[in-house]
Amino acid sequence: MKVEVGFRLNGYEVRAEVEPHRRLLDVLRDTLGETGTKEGCGEGECGACTVLVDGAAVNSCLFPVCEAAGTAVTTVEGLATASGSLSPLQRAFLDHGGAQCGFCTPGIVMAGVALLAENPNPSDAEIRYALTGNLCRCTGYIQILDAIRTAALVTRGGSSD
Amino acid sequence: MRFEYYQPSTTAEALELAARFPDAEIIAGGTDLMVRLNKTRRRPPALISLRRVRELAHIENGAGLRIGAAVPLRDVAAHPAVTAGYPALVDAIRVFGSPQIRNMATLAGNLCNASPGADCAPPLLIYDAVVELRSAAGVRELTIEDFILGPGATALEAGEIVTAIRLPPLPPDARSMYLRKGRVQMDLAITGVAARLELDGAICVAARIAAGAVAPVPRRLSRTESVVAGAAAGAETWARARAEAQDEISPISDVRASEQYRRHLTGVLVERSLAQLASTSGGGT
Repeated sequence: MKVEVGFRLNGYEVRAEVEPHRRLLDVLRDTLGETGTKEGCGEGECGACTVLVDGAAVNSCLFPVCEAAGTAVTTVEGLATASGSLSPLQRAFLDHGGAQCGFCTPGIVMAGVALLAENPNPSDAEIRYALTGNLCRCTGYIQILDAIRTAALVTRGGSSD
Repeated sequence: MRFEYYQPSTTAEALELAARFPDAEIIAGGTDLMVRLNKTRRRPPALISLRRVRELAHIENGAGLRIGAAVPLRDVAAHPAVTAGYPALVDAIRVFGSPQIRNMATLAGNLCNASPGADCAPPLLIYDAVVELRSAAGVRELTIEDFILGPGATALEAGEIVTAIRLPPLPPDARSMYLRKGRVQMDLAITGVAARLELDGAICVAARIAAGAVAPVPRRLSRTESVVAGAAAGAETWARARAEAQDEISPISDVRASEQYRRHLTGVLVERSLAQLASTSGGGT
């Protein structure tokens, strides 16, 4: 038996008829067609499925869709402006080569967004700690750290050069 | 396949559902339960979620603390009364999973999952925490020792819900901490040691020591505590505590560490935590 779940997705009200055992991840990708959010491990280890629910980063593979009802969900699709200009963090990932194969990138970007919202001026140790739940098997992380550091600087009004 | 997801908004409603569906699973953060459900095709007839039960979503600060079963670990570690009075619990949450996991997982869920290596269990043991269980029949309270019965096994009965974890008030001069070693932050503990020390001058008046991942259940090390209680604070006592702890635990060898390494490391953490606690000023932090 399906139930109706409604929430705000990247600023827009959405409603979906879903089976109640669905995960938020499944509904985002399969029902709503927002495939930016990825499934990696399916057990909360890799962070590829990271989205924000009411501002808090969560693993959408462990998040029952019924719990999303009435919340505001932000996915990687919600970061760029409607006209397509990238957010400072997305821009910095591009500039620093923070994405290689790109599969982990949406999750890492969302973890970065959550970090910078809470701590606009993180130390390197704080950035690393904030990315504990995100695995990247390509980049070696250095470019990712550079990107987040740069985005923090740009967002605070500094220059990225 | 029939499957219902219930989201009660009061404890009474949750208990009514738990009585009606004795085979239902209770879900709070879901970070253990959802992994289990994702990996199997078998589903419980119902999930009863505690996330919208407002009575369970906050921390009451009166005589000690009462932490509702739906409070995410992130909020537990950020609560001023927890950081001021129960630092070992903050230490444990700091090494617990990832930010994403800490935004969802709960203390009650960590105990109900009953992993031998549950990071929050050793701190709760040294603080004499009490598990509050409710059912249609009423309320009962169990110590952590009486609640966690074995790997994955608890005293929770059908129709019963863990509604809160209570932390009794501590003596004002109690010092405490939790040290955990894993291969990397995201991995499970190889061993974790929580220690609490009360000093009167150079004498250890009281000690509480608990360890995780080195026995079928997280447990107090009472023999090690006896070595410390009444002894002079100093390197000799800490070394004796290390040796006693190494002998007292019953670790296994697995993919993360050998039995010998777990014994060695647990002793080191016992010695290190006691030395650190004795060298800091009192007052809990």
